[in-house]
Amino acid sequence: MVFFEEVQTRIKRENSSKYFPGGKKTSRFEACYAEMSGNMSDSEAPHAATEGIEGAPEMQDPSPAETPGSSLPSTPDISADVAPTRKARRRPEAKPAAETEPTPKAEEQQQPAKTPSESTVSQGGWGYWGSWGKSILSTATATVATVGQGLTQVIEKAETSLGIPSPTELSATVEEEEKQQGEGSSEMEKGATDASSPVGSAMGMLSSLTSVVQTTGKTVITGGLDALEFIGKKTMDVIAEGDPGFKKTKGLINRNVTLSQVLREAKEREELQKEKESSDTEKKVVAHYGMLFDEFQGLSHLEALEILSRESESKVKSVLTTLSGDELIQLREELDQIKDSFSLVEFDEEEVDDKKDEDGTEFEKDLTSAVDGVSVSATADKLCKVCKNTRSTISNMSKPQEDDSLEEEKTHSAEDVHTAAIRSLAELTARSIELFHKLAEMILFSNGSTDASVLSQLTVILCKEISLLSKKFTSCLTTAGFNEKGDVLNPLITGVFLEASNSASYIQDAFQLLMPILEISHIQKRAGPSEQ
Amino acid sequence: MAYAYLFKYIIIGDTGVGKSCLLLQFTDKRFQPVHDLTIGVEFGARMITIDGKQIKLQIWDTAGQESFRSITRSYYRGAAGALLVYDITRRDTFNHLTTWLEDARQHSNSNMVIMLIGNKSDLESRREVKKEEGEAFAREHGLIFMETSAKTASNVEEAFINTAKEIYEKIQEGVFDINNEANGIKIGPQHPTTNSTLPSSQGGQHAGGGCC
Repeated sequence: MVFFEEVQTRIKRENSSKYFPGGKKTSRFEACYAEMSGNMSDSEAPHAATEGIEGAPEMQDPSPAETPGSSLPSTPDISADVAPTRKARRRPEAKPAAETEPTPKAEEQQQPAKTPSESTVSQGGWGYWGSWGKSILSTATATVATVGQGLTQVIEKAETSLGIPSPTELSATVEEEEKQQGEGSSEMEKGATDASSPVGSAMGMLSSLTSVVQTTGKTVITGGLDALEFIGKKTMDVIAEGDPGFKKTKGLINRNVTLSQVLREAKEREELQKEKESSDTEKKVVAHYGMLFDEFQGLSHLEALEILSRESESKVKSVLTTLSGDELIQLREELDQIKDSFSLVEFDEEEVDDKKDEDGTEFEKDLTSAVDGVSVSATADKLCKVCKNTRSTISNMSKPQEDDSLEEEKTHSAEDVHTAAIRSLAELTARSIELFHKLAEMILFSNGSTDASVLSQLTVILCKEISLLSKKFTSCLTTAGFNEKGDVLNPLITGVFLEASNSASYIQDAFQLLMPILEISHIQKRAGPSEQ
Repeated sequence: MAYAYLFKYIIIGDTGVGKSCLLLQFTDKRFQPVHDLTIGVEFGARMITIDGKQIKLQIWDTAGQESFRSITRSYYRGAAGALLVYDITRRDTFNHLTTWLEDARQHSNSNMVIMLIGNKSDLESRREVKKEEGEAFAREHGLIFMETSAKTASNVEEAFINTAKEIYEKIQEGVFDINNEANGIKIGPQHPTTNSTLPSSQGGQHAGGGCC
């Protein structure tokens, strides 16, 4: 455990700044808040850069107490997640908590879920395998997500038995990295192992365990594997429950803090931090996703969408209270059908093919056909434009560099690529949220028959695009930073993956916000124009 | 980027009076004669300085079309300021002010500062509503009043900034509870930590008005 804690400290130091851009999480904000009211901020942030070990853990400290509540909402839907793209489904809200709270005390599935990746990632602090391990592991996070505390042990065991690869070994596999990043998650799904790479084996083992747990649930656990006994009862409950989407939505709406609030607060914290650490050179290069997201009006659209969602929800509730008997049963059934189409959304499309859809025409076609019939073409056009621009940015940056002999690259340094990636992701996400917001308005406005499947299809298209672009960006990043040291390049790559995963989470949350809107639209339609 | 306060504004009024143009002029300093019809709500944001403090205005530009009214009403809540706009060349847009005002008062908090704006003041030759009428209406209903031109940018800055000044004064007077976000005011990120050693231009001034 001492070893483990030291690793924790290391990873914290390494990640304290890195997680920050993605820190649009309740826990981070609350941590910040606690920190502010505790008057810790003065000593902390300025020192964090220079005295990482002392500074960073302090920053993390307040979070464990805060996270259980905040992590709850998105928890339930984890259970059924196996598909590769779902790596994108989760915001790593609970990361800090998981880091500092390795004891089984933390019963919430979400938190321990992060622990496995953290503890494994933490090994990255020791050698060169960081970039590889981290990015793959970040994709693994979601896969592992349901399996609670117990897996920490599994992973530790797996690691100790397999050993930590030596830096040389790993730098030899750098070539594979990119490939692995692309295929990593799908490979892990199959439990494929890469014999030449111990890490691959570890991951293979880990993910096969995970998917076994996820697919076969209880039977496996009673069937053995001591470590899995650690899995909390709650996890089992979640696995057993068949209606994750609904629960998630419920959580979304019931939680005290709305998503946009969380985002705004996180962004404010970023601003604060940015100012504080303006002298810190490392921070300078970090693009601030949250701030950019707000700049592109993503927060505002999200806030507006939340308003509409909340109002629709309360309208649905009040309609339900006025009904009784068969009428009520009938309506409930109809509403349940709508709910189902929101909870049964499967993001299980084949792992996005990098080669496919090179110029984005397919995305544009899909998007256009998805929103066909709903008058949001202007917004969809904006979104398409962003995607096109992003693609041209990527292809510009992917052009081979002539001056690679120079130490200080003038053209498209890794930082440049990273900044462009974060910016593009933020803009793309903001435009996606805008599209959902406009869809919500048009559904309420026209009372037309918008099918939930259209919306879920749209969600899949958008998440796919995010995933595709983030992969292109990271491969571009790997090329641009080939002569950078691992500890420079790795955080950048991780950052891109992290924000891509956040982006997808926001898009999926926005999708869930549409549910009450479809419900009220349905109620109004069946009631005819006389009511409401 | 850091700000002391964030104020939420809404812009309301009949369709075609120039709400989106006012916003564009204020945020981008440009005029676009042909504008897409606003669907639901669009957004703009800009930083201004009042009393040495950075204030971020987050502006919700609502659709003027009657058919969108039930949706746009949802957005009134939580606004600290409203720009109620009519077109001085269209009498009917002035006549509808009462309805807009009732709507706004009903769906937002009672302290919301409302600025009445007679837009298109550059079209003097086509004027249908006298400036005095606007002033009288504003006086009667306790609003601030200005005539603006989104085209020439005349008074546009002033309209947005004067509204913010009024809100700011209300904060100083304690009318607004700044800790209640339903009032459309949010405290900026650096507010609680202004005692830090940062080279922050507006840092020191906050020390007295702490919120904790």
